[in-house]
Amino acid sequence: MIEFLIPLIKVILALVWLLLLTLYVADWVERKESAIIHDRIGANRASIFGLRMIGLFQPFADAIKMIFKEDFTPSFSRKFLHSLAPFLSFFFVAVTIAAIPFGDTIRIGSRIIKLQVLDINVTLLFVLAMMSLGIYGVILAGWASNNRFSLLGGIRGAAQLISYEVAFGLSLVGLIMIYPSLKLSSIVHSQGELLFGFIPKWGIFLQPLGFIVFLFAALAETKRVPFDLPEGESEIIGFYTEYSGLKWGLFMMTDGMEIVIVSTLMTTLFFGGWQVPWLQADGFHWPWGGEWFLASWIVVILQVLAFNLKVFFFCWFQVLLRWTYPRFRYDQLMDLGWKLLIPLSLVNIVGTGIIMSL
Amino acid sequence: MIRALGYFIEIIRGSLITARHFMANMFFHILKVLGIKTKRKGAVTIQYPEEKKELASRHRSLHRIMTREDGQPRCVVCMLCVTVCPSECIYVEAAEDPDPEIQKRPSQFVIDLNRCCFCGFCVEACPEDAIRMDTGKVEIAQYDRQDLIYDLDKLKE
Amino acid sequence: MIKIIIDDKTVEAKEGTTVLSAAKLAGIQIPHLCYHAAFIPEGSCRMCLVEIEGFPKLELACSTQVKEDLRVWTQSKKVTEARKGVLEFILAEHPLDCPICDKAGECKLQDYYEEYGLFESQFKELKEKREKKVSIGERLILDRERCILCTRCVRFLREVTKTQELGVFNRGVRSEISTYDGELVDNNYSGNLTEVCPVGAITDTDFRFQIRSWFLQKGDSICPLCSRGCNISIEYHPGFARIPRKKRVYRITSRENLAVNDFWICDLGRYAYSYLDENRLSNFLSSLNGKNKRFDQESALQFAAQKIKKLYDKKKISRMTLILNSWLTNEELFLVRKIFRDDLRMQRIFMVDPSQGEKDKMLLTSERSPNRKGAEEIGFDFQSLDFKGLAGKTDVLVMFGEYLLDLASLEEIKAVLEGIETSILFSSKESALVSLFGLVFPTALAAEKSGSFTNCEGKIQSFEPVLESWGESRPEWQFLLELSRELDINSNYYNQIESTTAVLEKMREEISFFQKEK
Ligand code: SF4
Ligand code: SF4
Ligand code: FES
Repeated sequence: MIEFLIPLIKVILALVWLLLLTLYVADWVERKESAIIHDRIGANRASIFGLRMIGLFQPFADAIKMIFKEDFTPSFSRKFLHSLAPFLSFFFVAVTIAAIPFGDTIRIGSRIIKLQVLDINVTLLFVLAMMSLGIYGVILAGWASNNRFSLLGGIRGAAQLISYEVAFGLSLVGLIMIYPSLKLSSIVHSQGELLFGFIPKWGIFLQPLGFIVFLFAALAETKRVPFDLPEGESEIIGFYTEYSGLKWGLFMMTDGMEIVIVSTLMTTLFFGGWQVPWLQADGFHWPWGGEWFLASWIVVILQVLAFNLKVFFFCWFQVLLRWTYPRFRYDQLMDLGWKLLIPLSLVNIVGTGIIMSL
Repeated sequence: MIRALGYFIEIIRGSLITARHFMANMFFHILKVLGIKTKRKGAVTIQYPEEKKELASRHRSLHRIMTREDGQPRCVVCMLCVTVCPSECIYVEAAEDPDPEIQKRPSQFVIDLNRCCFCGFCVEACPEDAIRMDTGKVEIAQYDRQDLIYDLDKLKE
Repeated sequence: MIKIIIDDKTVEAKEGTTVLSAAKLAGIQIPHLCYHAAFIPEGSCRMCLVEIEGFPKLELACSTQVKEDLRVWTQSKKVTEARKGVLEFILAEHPLDCPICDKAGECKLQDYYEEYGLFESQFKELKEKREKKVSIGERLILDRERCILCTRCVRFLREVTKTQELGVFNRGVRSEISTYDGELVDNNYSGNLTEVCPVGAITDTDFRFQIRSWFLQKGDSICPLCSRGCNISIEYHPGFARIPRKKRVYRITSRENLAVNDFWICDLGRYAYSYLDENRLSNFLSSLNGKNKRFDQESALQFAAQKIKKLYDKKKISRMTLILNSWLTNEELFLVRKIFRDDLRMQRIFMVDPSQGEKDKMLLTSERSPNRKGAEEIGFDFQSLDFKGLAGKTDVLVMFGEYLLDLASLEEIKAVLEGIETSILFSSKESALVSLFGLVFPTALAAEKSGSFTNCEGKIQSFEPVLESWGESRPEWQFLLELSRELDINSNYYNQIESTTAVLEKMREEISFFQKEK
């Protein structure tokens, strides 16, 4: 019984965490951050009983609006595929959260529970695979809309995602070589070690080039500005032009979720995941000597907090980028992917190999 | 290569600029939340229904009909406003005034604000200074078009 | 013929004419206020000053007769200066009333100030106050402040109507226009005073404050209210873009035609224009067998044609009666004659006109319809109609106009119509008759159709539509042409005809009376 309950609770918690964060990142953070960058105030009108809470209710207001909007399916669309597409997109992005380690382990009674839903030994591949499958949602949406412009948008999306998929994967090879594992939990564990006795052995320090390539490729995967050629709400007609209401909302959620997932990946792979520098299971071991012992539950809380903080920072960072840059031209996009990122990631692999064999 | 590097630097500078804006504004927002008054504000926007911008002295707002000392409208129904109005939204009808010095006064004076483009030509045209657009009322939206058709009584207020 | 030179242009003028009218003929405008082509010039306003060679001072163009080789300058510096001065003197005593003056927009003083004045007033004193609202006639109001004492009104009443109700009283600055002993201007041409007065001193209550003149559009027409056929302008409001207008026609003004009405029209023609807008019939009406079937132009014409055709095919056309009136144009009467008398060989055609009214010594005739002469010339005689006798003799009655009401009472008409199988009325008005007839065609009035009238002197005057037709109403000639096509008798003839001018052509070919006008 309890064997089923624990994974179920884990799944539910992970999903709630993901959805809430997505809702807030895609709506509240996005709107507020852009407003503050623009010297504005941003959405702050949604209120409950006159309580405005600096617009914290705005995501819910938006969600309610989205749910009650007319869900319009054009007469010329392929109805089934048209409805299927947003669910595909949503699903494949959402499942990746299962592979992300939120923390180490906690002990309840005699039971040791991992703060991760799914800890198979190829979690990294799982994440990559699921994210690639998300392309189907995009292509299907374009195709099922039966609108040539949507189709073009879908094809643009597919081309872009496939191009960057390569760099995305290759940029991680160096990382896999260093922490020789495809298991996210053990990668995170490895990052708890120290380099030269004081630098945390985070991916960013070991694989700076890999990180840069990963950053660009991941941004491209999220299909957001400056890589928003598949849709480009403001002017380009894209793959979800024929969507409205909740289905359109699902696409938007997927977009937001991709930010969160990419952030968690960055955190997990390059920024030590739930690791806090110099914090071991029993407390801080300062590199200049001295120790500070903490109860194990405090350590767990600190680690989970650290993970969340890092994720949140990267969400913030991605939104910042989105409100800074203009969109790439399509040829620039392709140039960047094929002529810069892929060679760079290959260089990174070779370089890592050389350094490791020294 | 050097050009590409230049781009790269500019890209980073770009995000630094936005980040700086974010940080600075956030700082002032937080000061405000903490109750510390500063001259600079985190945002330049005006929170409209609560805060209102002061109208320029020449701002053209809702029309009003000026009256003589005895409360009668100054309008003499010369229909110059009707003539000049580009939206054709003024309708005036004349009546005989018992005073032979005045002779003509409006029995009806209707401005259809649905149509009015607030150009202020009527004010310019009026030889009697009977119509002005200086009430400062700008919130005149209504749920019913009919409520936007202002007659003499409404315009005199 | 005398040759004179005006502004270096050689102009031919008849002996005895004035410089002003010679210039006018040559297309040279000389401003004038007191001069009116209909009256003996008086020379009181001094607006018409021109420079004439050999004269030490400026001369009055309106009262200087032409002489051989006279050299006149109308634009020299001296002249323009003088005009400015004259205008300044006139305006010194003229109130700034334009916003409430009904003449504004068509006032000569305004126009001349714009054209020749444009000075800053140097007059610092207060303007003189005078009565602003003096009733000088049933419909006339005099504003003594605005009066410029040109005495056009006095001369009109002295020379044209010869009734002399107005005069100039007192002397010098106290001069003023007034009636004698408070007796009002009371003649049938008093309305012309508002047109004669070059400024807004005399206005009429009918047009007073109704609208500003520049909102109105003008169209030329012929007055249909008596057989004189005076030339008129119908001034109507084309309608605001979004606000409904109160009425279409705001006033009727006279139009110069020296062969018919000079410059004048009578008060009947001037003020009785409300018939154009009131009580107009806008739809086809029917009360056939007590049922109200909706008719449109096509179905109504088909119905009428079918009824007539049936009688014709059964050789019973003698059981059809046609009642006309002389409000119909020449063209319409001619079409009626062609269709009903020449093609269908009908005999029972009658004319019922509005009953005669009073005539006066000038223009107004006793006949209250415009085209009696035309009807006679086209070949209709005015045999008296025994209306009550119709009952047994008629199956189909077609009637134009609603003047039957002058002939018989409503009950009588009702009784007779009940005995008639099919009764068709062509009417422009919602009169009491409308409900009695089986089918009613809404028709246009003279102001809304093209055609021609022959006036009491035998003058044929064509006119074009001024107003748009009212609702579904159409001119009778269109109905008649369509009817002829539905009847399909002698159709080759009618197929050549599309417009009233084509009808007029045919008339000229076939009736000698109309030939002389060419
Ligand atoms: S402001 Fe302009 S549009 Fe409005 S009533 Fe006056 S003239 Fe007409
Ligand atoms: S009332 Fe008019 S027409 Fe008569 S004298 Fe005065 S200005 Fe002339
Ligand atoms: S027109 Fe000649 S003096 Fe008046």
